[in-house]
This record gives sequence, structure tokens and C-alpha cells, in this order.
Amino acid sequence: MTEETTNQYNAMDDDEFRAMVHTFYVENYPQELRFSPHRMHWDEIGDWYLTLSKQGWLTPAWPAEYGGMGLDANKLLIFMDVGESYGVGRTPDMGITMVGPLLIQHGSQQQKDHYLPKILAGEYIWCQGYSEPGAGSDLASLQTSAVRDGDHYVVNGHKTWTTLAMDANMIFMLVRTNKEGKKQEGITFLLVPLDTPGITVRPIINLGMHDEFAEVFFDDVKVPVANVVGGENKGWTIAKALLGHERIFIGSPKFAILAMSRLKSMAKSVGLFDDPIFVERYTRLQLDIEDLFATYKRFVEVLKRGGNIGPEVSMLKIWNTETQQRVTELMMEAASEHGGIQGGIETEEGLVRAAGEFIGSRPSTIYGGSNEVQRNILAKAVLRLPG
Amino acid sequence: MEDISLQSRIDVLTEQQVLIQDSAVAFIAQDEELKKTRESRFVQPGYDQQTWQEMAELGWLGFLIPEQYGGIGLGFDDLHPVLIQLGKGLLPAPFVATAVVAASVLVNCDNEAIKKDRLPALVSGAWKPALAWQETQGQMSVEAEQLRIVDGKLSGKKAFVPDAGGADDFIVSAGGDKGTELYLVNKGATGLTIDYEQRIDGGFYARLSFDQVDVGELLAGTDRAEQVLESALDEGRVAASVELLGVMTRSLEITVDYLNQRVQFDKPIGSFQAIQHKTVDLFILSEISRSVVLQTIALLDGDASAHDRAVGASQVKARCGDAALQITKSAIQLHGGIGYTDEANIGLYLKKAMYLASWLGNATAHRARYAELTL
Repeated sequence: MTEETTNQYNAMDDDEFRAMVHTFYVENYPQELRFSPHRMHWDEIGDWYLTLSKQGWLTPAWPAEYGGMGLDANKLLIFMDVGESYGVGRTPDMGITMVGPLLIQHGSQQQKDHYLPKILAGEYIWCQGYSEPGAGSDLASLQTSAVRDGDHYVVNGHKTWTTLAMDANMIFMLVRTNKEGKKQEGITFLLVPLDTPGITVRPIINLGMHDEFAEVFFDDVKVPVANVVGGENKGWTIAKALLGHERIFIGSPKFAILAMSRLKSMAKSVGLFDDPIFVERYTRLQLDIEDLFATYKRFVEVLKRGGNIGPEVSMLKIWNTETQQRVTELMMEAASEHGGIQGGIETEEGLVRAAGEFIGSRPSTIYGGSNEVQRNILAKAVLRLPG
Repeated sequence: MEDISLQSRIDVLTEQQVLIQDSAVAFIAQDEELKKTRESRFVQPGYDQQTWQEMAELGWLGFLIPEQYGGIGLGFDDLHPVLIQLGKGLLPAPFVATAVVAASVLVNCDNEAIKKDRLPALVSGAWKPALAWQETQGQMSVEAEQLRIVDGKLSGKKAFVPDAGGADDFIVSAGGDKGTELYLVNKGATGLTIDYEQRIDGGFYARLSFDQVDVGELLAGTDRAEQVLESALDEGRVAASVELLGVMTRSLEITVDYLNQRVQFDKPIGSFQAIQHKTVDLFILSEISRSVVLQTIALLDGDASAHDRAVGASQVKARCGDAALQITKSAIQLHGGIGYTDEANIGLYLKKAMYLASWLGNATAHRARYAELTL
């Protein structure tokens, strides 16, 4: 995307921009993939990734100089909102939302030149290797090791909860390069091609009966030293910066908006808006989302001003994920017996699977740092309560 | 006391806002112990006239009044630092009722002679109007039903008029044959009786009974009265929400301070995770409230339609009303026994929240209004 196109988008009238994005979705997004109840695999949604890539709309938040749309906070929210309202599914987007922004900030020029175009072209699809069986909330205790051997590291260990690992051809991961001293200071950030010999991916079936995440095993895997981002033993700082990106992403209202639009479809079809008790509960949630929106905009403005967001971003993650869960809880309850079936309720906007939505919203308060950990962070780093 | 809000971390104030904030902080610091607040509790008129005069001298009473009527003609973006501090300092003064709500009715009314005569007096602190629009509890419609105009005389009742004791005149909505009109009625008018009720925060609500009272000066006829009222009340709802933001922010600061001081089991109680997580949830509520406040004042200062202003006012009042109550009542819990004493200041914050959250429509009423306007 050129600077000129970016300026043109940002200068557009809001309604005009909204209409343009909506029209594109209507004309290009596959009807049968709207409001997918599960996180789609590459064989389902890969074509859409490539369509967005061709249109130049894959990376709305990246700056134009790196091939992004460079949207301002307001346009970014509209872009997201239109997509959610239309039920556009999430692509395997780790490269777009995490690796790209990270490399733009911390990567070497060579790394930027190599990886960013391949993310934009859909050649590199990424997954995240952070958690391990023994390192969840206490991520810094991770044990997967990388031992230096000339120009290479030899990686051994076991990552888990790796979302869409079976669709990815690249993994960005945290490895231990030093077992002495403070555990945070012996961690390195590594980019690894998944077709490297010695890597095994084993899918895990989640509560939604879907193979959305996986375990990844590393057995004497050779990785070039050039694949380190930010320097040996400097990975924790980078990982924290990336968690910041992840939290602002998880804190974006899109998942809650999506759940709310499903609830609305169901409520219309079942006639729930005639029930004043339902309307009060619905409105309460609608306002939780609107108010989250206002808060999200406030945070995004900081980024747009070129400022940094600190540990306070945790509040977005907490509010968004818990709001999303409250929405799916009301959905399940209001669906009565349909709240206990695998299928769903037929509505004008397609099938609403109340039980599936309820199940699907459960992990959001666990991943990306559990909400309990987020509260610990806020208590110590923002409220400065004693340890 | 440490500022734990995100304002200093992530928001940007203009130079002018910083100046206004500094002067408001200094003003409130004069009564940090809340002695004046306590002295004026349950004593008519419920606030200190000298404090009101000082606020006039700072120019605050004329913030929203155009220059042609003796005011400064600024917007809510510049007023909001003052409102936050009034909330933080629990200032017992009818600022929102007078300098926001009543002022708005007067500025937008059609009686040019009254505007030229009275608005400069409001700005200087010499004259205070009080708006009497409400008739029943929980009322959200601005249509006047009980107070009727018959042959140029007013008869009927008004209720929940805040801080009427110090007012000179009443702005009154009344129903005639063709709908609601607005009049300016002298407080001493023949046939007007005032009863006072103590509010939980130590101020007073008044009930006005009209028996064949002369209508006084017409401010707005049936063509505009309801629109002028609705707009003034929505501005009042937003302003009260900003004041509530100050109330919740300060009570959270006091509480965090206490959690650092209070030692049990040989540790400050703020080190316990159960306490930390509860406090974090209160902090989140206060910042969500701040986000909505900032969004809504921008809406009021912009050129939004009356409908959008109403939606925004209900959104912010619903959030701030609920959040302030949640935060102040939890603050009592986190203080333990001392929190339940009148001696500790934290209880004064709960009581202020109880008044402001319920005035001009509580959270439930505003959610219902929001649903009506948006569904």
C-alpha cells in the first residue's frame, strides 16, 4: 500500500469508508464461511488470506511503508467493526498481528526485508511457541533449550497450546539459552521453519471438538543463529513487547462484538426483545461493549501518537474477554434447551450455536496470560500494591 | 496521595486544560480534610456561600456561558478537569445544578432580556437559579404533567429540586393546553411553598407546591421548552458523571493508600491477592468510566444531534452511576470496621455517589432509555 492510498483511506468520510469495506466483503468473502463457529484452518480460509493480500488489506494496522494499510485508530475500528458485523472469519493471522509488528519494532533490516513481504504474500504462516507443559502462567520457567553449535542452535523441548500449528510453516518461539542466573535473562526469541527436521506437530482436540491447537516437539532441531530476534538472552523483553501487542489485540472489542451480533440474531429470531428482563440484560452487555470500545480507542490513540502502552493494557484483556463470556452466557441461557445441543438455532443471519459460542469463549480468559495473571500485573505494576 | 489513574499515563491534556486542572487541584486542596464538607452537612443551604463566591472569582460559573452574556464560552473539554476535582474534593456546592443545568436552560431559552439581565449575575455569583422540572420519582420524560398553567397561574407540585435553599429564583416547567412551557418564577412568589428534605450526602432536595402562583417570565414556549430541557438535563447527566468520576477516583486513591498502610498478619493487607484482585476490578471500572467520560464530553462539544447526545448522556450516566457505587461501597468493605464509621472520610464518598448516581436518572433508568433510543 502506498502512502497516498493510506492518506486517502484516512481522509475518507466514515460512512463512505464503511460502505467501501462492506461492499468488498459482500463481493469477495465466501458466503458459507460467514460466522464460522470455529477457528478455521488454512484449507478453509487460506484463499481469503490471499484475497486480502491481493487487495492490500491484510495488515490494516501496519504502517504503509511496510505494506500495511496504515489506518488511523478510528478507521481501524470501523474496518474491524464491518468485518465482525458481516461475520468475516479470522485467518491464521499470527504473522499479521504479532510477528510483523514485532519485527517492525525489533527486527534487523535483513529480517524485515526477508520476513515482512513473505507474511504479506501468505508465503509464511506463523504459529506461536511460548507455553510448555511446565510453563503456563509462569512462562519464564520455560525449559525448551537452544544450545549454540557454531552458526546454529540445537533446539530440544516441547511446546504446547500452539494455535493452528498444523497450518503454519513458521513458528516464533522462546527458548532457553542460559540456565544460570535469573530465569528471565536466559531466554532467546527464535524464528524457526516448521519443516526443519526433528519437529513433530500433534493436534489437540479442544472442548469445541476442534483441532484448533497442537503440541510441537523439538528433537535436535538445527536453527541458524541469524534467526534470533533482538539478541541472545534478550528474548524476554521482546516477548513482553509481543505480549503487549497480543493483549491489545485480545483487548480489541471484535470478539465481544461478534458474540453480541450472534446474540442479537438469536434474540430477534426467538422474540426475546419482547421480554423486558432480557432487554435489560442485553442493554447492560451492549453498554459493556460500547464502553470497552471507548476504552480501546483511548489506548489505540496512544499508539497512533507514537506513545507506548504499558502494563495497563491488561485491563483491556480482562474487560474484553469477560464481557465476551458474559454475552455467550446470556446467549446460552436465553437459548433454553438449545443451550444444551451441539447444533443451533436457525436465524435470518444463519445458524446460531449458543452452546458452541459459550464453549468457544471459555479459553479467552486463559490464553494470552490468564486473567488472574493480568490482575496480578495491574495490582503490582499499575496500582503499585505491595508484594 | 498518589494519582493512580491512567490519565497521567496515557491521556494528553491541552495546555489550557492543565492550567484549569492545576487551579482546581489547588482549590480543592484548601479543604483536604473535608472540614467544610462536614460542616455544611444537613445545614441549610447545604453549602458554603463563600466557597461559591470563590468559584465565581475563578470564572468557573461562566465556563459554559457565552461571552456575550458575561461568561467565558468554553466547552466541556475545558470544564471537565474542574468537575473531576469537585468530585474528588466532595465540594458541597450546587455547581452542576446551577452552572451547568440551569445555565444551559437560560442560555438556550428565547427570552433575550432575561438572558442579558440574569446570566452575568449567575456568572458573578450574585444570583442563583434552580431548575424545577421533575414531578415524580424516576421520571425521565420532560413533559410537565402535574404542574398546570390555568389562566396565567401555576398550580401543582415539583419534586427533587437540588440545593433550592440558596437559590433566588426557580426555572419551572409547566403544562398548558398546548404542551410544556418554561417560566422563571421568583422564589418569594405568593402561593409558592417550599419543603426541604435532607439528602444522604448532607445537601437538600426541595418539594415545591404551587397554589395559583403568577407564572412570571416566559423563558420558552411549547415549541422549544422540551427540547431546551432535554438538552440541559443531558448536559447535567454528563457533568454529574464527570463529578462521579472524581468521586470514584479519589475513593480508590484513599483505599489504595489504606491498603498500603493497614497491617494484619504482619503484612500490609494490600499484599494479599484476594484484596489485590478486588481492587484491580475497581480500578478497571474507574478507567472504563473515564474512557466513556472523555468520549462523551467530545460528543457534547461537537455537533452531534440531540438523539446522539441523549444516547451518549445515558451511556455515561449508566456507567458512572454504577461504577461509582460499586467502587465506593467496595471501598467501605476494604476499609473494614473503620469504613463504617462517620469519622472516616471514605463513607462521605459513598454518600456522594448515592446522591449523584440517583439524581437525573439512575443507571437502570438510563439503560432503559439507552435501549429505547437504540434498539
